[in-house]
Amino acid sequence: MNVELFWGLPVVLYLFLAGVGAGALTVSSSVLLRGGGGPSGTHVDIARYGAFLAPLPIIIGCGLLVFELGSFQAGNWLKWLNLYKVINLSPMSIGTWLLTFCIFVSLAYAYTFLANPPGLGKDGALRLRRPLAWVSVPLGAGVAVYTGVLLGAMPSRPFWNSPILALLFLMSALSTGVAVILLARALLHPAKDEPGDDGRAFHESGYLLTATDTVFIGIEMIVVFLFIMFAYLTVGDVRYAISVILAGGDLATLFWLGFVVIGLVLPAVVELKYIIPRLLHHEEFSPPRGIEILVPIVVLVGGFMLRYIVVVAGQITGPVGI
Amino acid sequence: MTENSQRPVVNRRKFLETSAATGVAAAATLASAPVGAAATPTPRKRYGMLIDIRRCYGVHACSVACKAENGVPLGQTRSWVEYIEKGTYPNVTRSFLPRLCNHCEKPNCVSVCPTGATWKRKEDGIVVVDDDICIGCKYCVHACPYDARYPNPVTGTVDKCDFCIHRVSQGLEPACVEACPSRARIFGDLNDPESEISKAIAQNPVTVLRPEKGTQPNVFYIAADHTDERAPTVPNQYVRVDTHRRQLERR
Repeated sequence: MNVELFWGLPVVLYLFLAGVGAGALTVSSSVLLRGGGGPSGTHVDIARYGAFLAPLPIIIGCGLLVFELGSFQAGNWLKWLNLYKVINLSPMSIGTWLLTFCIFVSLAYAYTFLANPPGLGKDGALRLRRPLAWVSVPLGAGVAVYTGVLLGAMPSRPFWNSPILALLFLMSALSTGVAVILLARALLHPAKDEPGDDGRAFHESGYLLTATDTVFIGIEMIVVFLFIMFAYLTVGDVRYAISVILAGGDLATLFWLGFVVIGLVLPAVVELKYIIPRLLHHEEFSPPRGIEILVPIVVLVGGFMLRYIVVVAGQITGPVGI
Repeated sequence: MTENSQRPVVNRRKFLETSAATGVAAAATLASAPVGAAATPTPRKRYGMLIDIRRCYGVHACSVACKAENGVPLGQTRSWVEYIEKGTYPNVTRSFLPRLCNHCEKPNCVSVCPTGATWKRKEDGIVVVDDDICIGCKYCVHACPYDARYPNPVTGTVDKCDFCIHRVSQGLEPACVEACPSRARIFGDLNDPESEISKAIAQNPVTVLRPEKGTQPNVFYIAADHTDERAPTVPNQYVRVDTHRRQLERR
C-alpha cells in the first residue's frame, strides 16, 4: 500500500488511552453508585482504583493528540487552543469539550478518594463523591463513544464509516478499563491471602471485575462479528474496505491473531475458566496471581491492537471508483 | 449547511407579509413575461470549473502553474494530473484526469472542522481555509472524498486549491486555467446562465467525480474516464492509475 498515513501512532495511542481512562472512570463510578460507595462498601477498592487510574491516560492521550497537530509540529505550540474558541457540530469539537470536562471531573472524582483531601475534608469528600460519580458515568461513556464517532463521521473513509464502530470502541474501552483496574489491583494489592472477611471481599471484587470483563468481551465479540458481517455482505466501498482485515488482506494477520485471538478469545477463555466454578458451584474465586496479571495485560494489548488496526485500515482504504 | 445559513429567519407575521408580496410579484411576473435579474439583490456567484478531457494531453502545465502560483511545498500538490491506462495491447487507452478541489456544494471537509477554520464562502462558493485559525488536525484531510487536501509542513495548517482566490477576486482566471495550452479548462460562474462554463455544461454531457458521496462537486468533466484500479470497466481488465503525487494511490 503506497498511501500516506496522516494519523499515526499518537492518534492510535490517544484512542487507546482515552478509551482506557474513560472505561476505568465509567466502571469505577458505576461500581460506586451500584453500592460500592461509602467507607464500608464492599467494592470500594474497585471504585478507588478506577478513580485514581482514570485521569492520567486521558490526559496523556490528549497530550499526544497535540503533538500530532500540524500547527504544533510547525512551531505554533499554543495554536490548538483555537479549539476552545468555538463549539460546532464537528465530532472533534464536541469531543474536545467532552474530553475537557471529563478530565476535570475525573480529577475531581479522584480527589474525593484521597484519605483526607485538603480543603475538602473526609466528610466533604464523601458528600461530593456520589454526585461526581453520577456525572462521571455519562462523561466516561461519552468519551468512549466519541472516539468511535470521530472516525465514523466520514463517508470518505468507508472502513470507519460504520455506526457500530462507536459501540465497538465503547465495549473495548469498558473492557480495557476493567482490565487496567484488575491489573493495578493484582500488582498493588498484597492482601490476597488475608484470612477472613477481608480476603473474601477481595476475592469477591476480583470475581465481580473478571465477570464484568468477560461480559464486555462477549459483547465486543458480537459487535466485531456484526461489524465484519455487515461490511462483508455489501458491495462497493465498504466491501472493499473490510477486505484489508479479511483473509488475504494487509492487516488480516494482525487483526485475527493480534486482536481476535490474543485480545478477545484468549482472555475470555481464561477468565471463563475461573469464573464458571464460582458461578455454578459457588467455589471460591481465586485465580493464581500470574493469571491475574497476565489476563488484563492481554486485554490491554487487544485494545491497543484494535485501535491500531482500525486507524491504519481506515487510512489505507478509500472509496472504490472515481 | 450553507443553505441553512442563507435561509432568512422568518416569523409567522413576516411569512404572511412575504407570501402576500410574493403573490403580487408572481402576478406581475405573469403579466410581463420576460423579467431580468433587476429585481434580485446582488446575485451570488457559484464558481466552478469544467475540464474537457478530450482536449487534455497531459502536459502538467496546470500542476506546474499551480505550484508556482501558490508556493505549494515540495512533495505536495493542490492540482495534479492522473494517468489512467487500461486494456491489453493492442486494445489500450491512456486518458488523463486533472484533479483539484471540487469546491463541493455540500463539503464534507467543512462539516468536520472543529475550529471553523474552513468554510464555503457565501459570495462565490469557494471553499477556503483560514491559516490563522487552522490547527492542522487533519480531520478534513480524511473527510475529503477526493484527497484534495494536504497538510502543509511549512505553515502547519491544512492546504488546498482555492480556485486561486487572489487572482479570481481581481478578475483573473485561476493559474491552471490560464496555463493550460489546450484550453481544456473553463472557469466561471455557474449561476450565470450566459457564462461560458454554464453554456458548455448545458451543451455537453458532463460528469463529476464520486457523485455517490453526495458532495455535489462544482468541478465538472467532459469525457472523463472514471475507471479505477479497484473498479475496472470489465472484470479482470488491466488498469493502471498513475497519480503523479506523493499519494501514489487513489483512495
